[in-house]
Amino acid sequence: MIQIENLTYVYPASRKTPARKAIDNLSLSIAEGQFSILSGPNGSGKSTLFRILCGMAYPSAGSVRIGGFDLLKEPAKARGQMGVVFQSPAVDKHLTVAENLKLHADLYGLSGRDLYERMDEATGWTDLADRLNDKVITLSGGLARQVELAKCLLTRPRLLLLDEPTTGLDPSSRRNFVDALHKIQKGRRMTVLMTSHIFSEAEDADRVAIMKDGVLLANDSPQVLRGQLGREMVVVQSRNAESLEARIRLGLNLATRRHGDEIRLEETDNGDSLPILEKLLAAYRSEIDSIAIKQPALEDVFIHLTGKTAAETEQTGDAA
Amino acid sequence: MIGPAFALARREFTRFMRQPQRVVGTVAQPILFWLFLGSGFNASFHSPGMGGSSYLEYFYPGVMLMMMLFASIFSSITIIEDRDAGFLQSVLVAPVSRMAIVLGKVFGGVAIAMVQTLIFTIAAPFLGLHLGLGSLVFLVGAYVLSSIGFAAMGFFFAWSMRSSAGFHAIMMVFLMPLWMLSGALFPIENAPGWLHAAMTVNPVAHALVLMRGPFYMQPAELLADSKWLLALGVTILWGGGFLLASMARVEKREKGAAL
Repeated sequence: MIQIENLTYVYPASRKTPARKAIDNLSLSIAEGQFSILSGPNGSGKSTLFRILCGMAYPSAGSVRIGGFDLLKEPAKARGQMGVVFQSPAVDKHLTVAENLKLHADLYGLSGRDLYERMDEATGWTDLADRLNDKVITLSGGLARQVELAKCLLTRPRLLLLDEPTTGLDPSSRRNFVDALHKIQKGRRMTVLMTSHIFSEAEDADRVAIMKDGVLLANDSPQVLRGQLGREMVVVQSRNAESLEARIRLGLNLATRRHGDEIRLEETDNGDSLPILEKLLAAYRSEIDSIAIKQPALEDVFIHLTGKTAAETEQTGDAA
Repeated sequence: MIGPAFALARREFTRFMRQPQRVVGTVAQPILFWLFLGSGFNASFHSPGMGGSSYLEYFYPGVMLMMMLFASIFSSITIIEDRDAGFLQSVLVAPVSRMAIVLGKVFGGVAIAMVQTLIFTIAAPFLGLHLGLGSLVFLVGAYVLSSIGFAAMGFFFAWSMRSSAGFHAIMMVFLMPLWMLSGALFPIENAPGWLHAAMTVNPVAHALVLMRGPFYMQPAELLADSKWLLALGVTILWGGGFLLASMARVEKREKGAAL
């Protein structure tokens, strides 16, 4: 569905800033019907990639094909295949839900009896049934997000692109949104590509791609990615993590990684974790604030690959 | 192209009608200008270029032009708001002709200006200006062409603006002077040489000639009047030129630097 080949995007130099390479010779292909998550720390180039995919930016080099059309040469045809849900709301808040849907239909040239069928189909899964004639500004954040998605479904896209669609939602609305998205994606066999920092959203995906500094670090199923980290790890929190890390590495002869005041012993063979934990407690009890044995989750893979925690990534805000 | 443009224009109009303050403000403000300035200057202002009409009457078509200017400014500001709010991005990724995006905004602005100017046209008979059906058709045509010019020009400037405060600056130093130098406030004939030259090349001055015509001449006379035909040509070029230039701006995608 999406074939990206040797894509490079360089932000032009201006008087104050030198040219910056946001995407560096990236190739990625996403098969029809796949649910993919694209993740990466801020400045990793994923937002730039997203802008190129939805046709708003034109790359320095490389090619992008969407559903068989060359996005760079036939943008209108490629755009016709996809629906895009942006991070910031893209509906008119001063119009009602129904008016927004109608406007979107007009932009895509949909009309007539077919349209009513599409409207029912696009809103069937939502909680908007009795809110269609309310202005979007009066809806809760979760409902407003449903309008965004419903609007995109109206055109029956083969490909749905979503840019951090759950930003600003509370955990339960977020869960509902992602569950609904999965259900719709399966029901219609759509291809979905969603950028996200939230790894609980990625656990059910078919593929998770992780970018950093414009390069693709990984693109695999969540199971395979988790498998890269062994089965278990020991995580230690300490106030003087820096000096403790050095002593653990030398004293116990174990490979370590440190992120802030967290020390991780990731390459632990199965069954070794408990003895290691006991050894650490025996030796450094007074310096350890907390210690745990963890099954690696996707977030741990992200930290392993990018050297950043998702929280660090989110704190700085994603402007790029 | 027409379908999406019409849908976008309808959105502009719906939004306008849902903000009663905006409706009242845009209709009342030029009328207040006209009544206060017009009545105030009425006694003291009798210049040769006015063709013997009272200042209230002279200023009347100028106020129409002002309504169009303001309608265009307000609808151009909504471009900046749409970009801020995020609405614009969903329009940009839709598979619609870029011209439809321009026309949607421009026709929305034109429709709003039409409502105001048509209401204001009711004042004409009270000034002793009697319009036949033919003249009325020409007048409405002139309204439409002039407001396309204003709205397309506003679009062109607002498209690359990221803040409405910046647009206010453009409005004060560029759009307002175009109106001031259109002959709306004083006749071009008496202006000093340098001002006269500036007014001659100002497309808004030609739009005013275009609008003033039907109040005083019959359609057949207008079509034989070279000054009016020139104004028609200039106004069409003005609107058409800015429509095309705006489309070129919308079409421009962010481009990665060459390697």
